Amino acid sequence: MPSNDVITLKSVSKSYPLGRLRVQALHAIDLTIARGELIALAGPSGSGKTTLLNLIGCIDKPDQGRIVIDDADVTAIPLHRLASLRRDTLGFIFQTFNLIPVLTAYENVEYPLLLQNMPRRDRDLRVRRWLAQVGLADQAKQRPDQLSGGQRQRVAIARAMVTEPKLVLADEPTANLDSETAAHILDLLAEINTATNCTFVFSTHDPSLIARAERVVRIRDGRLDDRQPATASRQQAELLTA
Amino acid sequence: MIIKLALRNILRNRRRSAITLTVIVFGAVGLILFGGYKARTFYALRESTIRGRIGHLQIFRDGYSKAQSHKPLEYGIEDPTAIRKEIERDPRVKMTAAQITLMGLVSNGEKSETFLATAVEPPKDRAMNNQRLTAGTDLPDGESDAVLVGAGLAKSMHAKPGDYLTIMTTTTSGSLNAMDVRVAGIFMTGVKEYDERAVKMPIAGAQQLLQTKKIEKLLVFLQNTDETAAAHSAIAARVHGIEIREWSELAPFYHQVVALYNGIFGFLGIVVFAIVVFSVANTILMSVLERTREIGTLMAMGTTRGRLRAMFVGEGIGIGIIGGLLGVSAGWLLATIINHGHVMLPPPPGYTLGYRLEIMLQPPVLITAFLVSFVTATISSIVPAMKASRMKIVDALGHI
Repeated sequence: MPSNDVITLKSVSKSYPLGRLRVQALHAIDLTIARGELIALAGPSGSGKTTLLNLIGCIDKPDQGRIVIDDADVTAIPLHRLASLRRDTLGFIFQTFNLIPVLTAYENVEYPLLLQNMPRRDRDLRVRRWLAQVGLADQAKQRPDQLSGGQRQRVAIARAMVTEPKLVLADEPTANLDSETAAHILDLLAEINTATNCTFVFSTHDPSLIARAERVVRIRDGRLDDRQPATASRQQAELLTA
Repeated sequence: MIIKLALRNILRNRRRSAITLTVIVFGAVGLILFGGYKARTFYALRESTIRGRIGHLQIFRDGYSKAQSHKPLEYGIEDPTAIRKEIERDPRVKMTAAQITLMGLVSNGEKSETFLATAVEPPKDRAMNNQRLTAGTDLPDGESDAVLVGAGLAKSMHAKPGDYLTIMTTTTSGSLNAMDVRVAGIFMTGVKEYDERAVKMPIAGAQQLLQTKKIEKLLVFLQNTDETAAAHSAIAARVHGIEIREWSELAPFYHQVVALYNGIFGFLGIVVFAIVVFSVANTILMSVLERTREIGTLMAMGTTRGRLRAMFVGEGIGIGIIGGLLGVSAGWLLATIINHGHVMLPPPPGYTLGYRLEIMLQPPVLITAFLVSFVTATISSIVPAMKASRMKIVDALGHI
C-alpha cells in the first residue's frame, strides 16, 4: 500500500570540492514530507537549502544516505536514468525562471507534455487550462523577452504544473521579483497547492514566503535546525516567524 | 518540437549562423565550380580524343597487338570493305574511317625533318573536324599527293599552301620510296610537339608511298560514347579475324588528366570538409556554451540525453540543409554566369591554344555539393551534441 509520504530522506550527506578542500554541504539529513504539504526550506545563503532541493529533485546525488521519492528509492539510480521520474513526478520552478527563450509562453508550457508524448488535443487543452490558471491566457504567443518578471514566473509555474506532478520544487521562486509581484506569486502557489493537493517544497530566506508555508524546515550549516522540529505545523511556523 | 527548437536556435544568433552558412555556401560553390569544370574538361577531352583522333573502337587484323614486325603494315587489313560493311550495319555506329600511320623524312630541297603522318580518308577526316586550319584548305577528294602540314613543321620547312615537299619512307617490302606532295593546307592541333612533326595525307597517297593496298586499322565512331562496350561486344560477335580495342585503352593521356583532376578535386573536398567541420562545430559549440543553463533546465524537466543530442544534431542538420541549398543555388547561378561570360583560359602546358572556361552543371556535381555540405554540417554537430548531453544538471543550472 503506497505511503502518504512523498519524500523520505535518511541520513543524507553531501559534500562539494572547493579548490583542494571539500565543503560539507549537508550532514546526515533526515526528513519526511507528506503528500500535499507546502513546505519552506528556510535558511541563510550557503546553509545547504539549494543542495537539499537538488537532491530531492533528482538532479544531484548524495554522498551517503537514502532518498525515496514517491515510494521509489532513487539513491542508486544514475541521474540520467531518472529523466522519466523528473518528467512525470516532479515540477521545477527556478529563481531566474529559466524559460526557453526561443519558445513562446504556450510552447514553454507545452514542452513537458511533449516529453510525455501526450496527444495534441489533450496537450492543447491542458496548456490552455494552465495558462488561464496563472492568468496568462492572453499572453500565450509572447516570448519570454516580451513578458515581465512576474509573468515569466507565472509561465514557469504553469510549466511546472502542466504535467500535474506529485511534487513541485521551487528554488527561491520570488527572489527576483518585487514584493507586490512576489505576493501575487505566493497567492498563486498557495491556491494551486490547495486546489491540486500537490506537494510544494521551496527554498527561501524571504520571511513573507516563510510565513505562508504550512511547515518550515530550517537549515543551518548543512544541518536541520533542532530548534525547529521537522514536523512543525503552519501555526508553529507562524509563531516562529512572528 | 526538436525541429522547431533546432530551427529557432539557428535563427537565435543570426550573425553567427550567417557566417557559418556563408562558409558552407563558399564550400559548396567551390565544389560545384571545380566539379563542373572537371566534368566539362573530362567530357571535352574524352570526346575530342575519340572523335578527333582515335575513334570509339579501333579494328585491327587479328594478331596485330602481339606481332613484333619491323615491316610496316605486315599486320594490316587487306580488304576492309567487308568488315566495314558488317560493322556499319550496327545502328550504334555513326561511321568507320580507314587509317594508316607512318613516319619518315620530309624535305624542301634545302633541309629535312622527320615527320609523323596520319593517312586518312579526306571526306571522313573533314567530318571529324579535329584540327584548325591556319592556312590553305582541307584535304581535297581524289588528289592523292595533297597533304596538310602541322604549323610547326610548316614553319621549320618554310612551307606554305601550294608549295611542294618530298616525303620519304620505308615501303612494306622494306625498300625506300619517296614522293612529291603538294601542301594543301597548314593545320594546328594545339599540341606544340605534335604540330612540329605532323603531316596528314590521303590514304591513297600513303598506300602509293608504302606500295601496298592494305590499311593499318579501321576507326569506328559511335553515335554515343556510352554505348562503346555494347558495340564492342556486338562487333566481336559478328566479325571474326579482327582485334578490337576500345578508346579507353588507347587514351593514356585522358586517364592521366582524370587521375590528376580527381586528386585535386579530392584534396579540395578535404579542405572544404575541414573548413565546414570547424566552422559548424565552432558555431554549435558556442551555442552549447551559451545555452548551458538552458540545457540544465531541459534536463531537469526530464529531457533525456538522447533527445538533447538530437536537438543539437538537428541544428547541424538544419544548418547543413539550408547551407547546402543556398550553396547549390549560388553555385548554379555562378556557373551559369561563367558559362554565358565566354571566359577564355590560357593554353595549358605543352599547348598553343587557349580554351573556353565552361562549367558542366550535371546533377551528380550538384548532389555531391549538397551532400558534402549536409553530411559535414551534421557530423560537425555530433561532438557539441555529446558535450551538451553529458553535462551535469546541477553544474549546468548553476552556470553563469
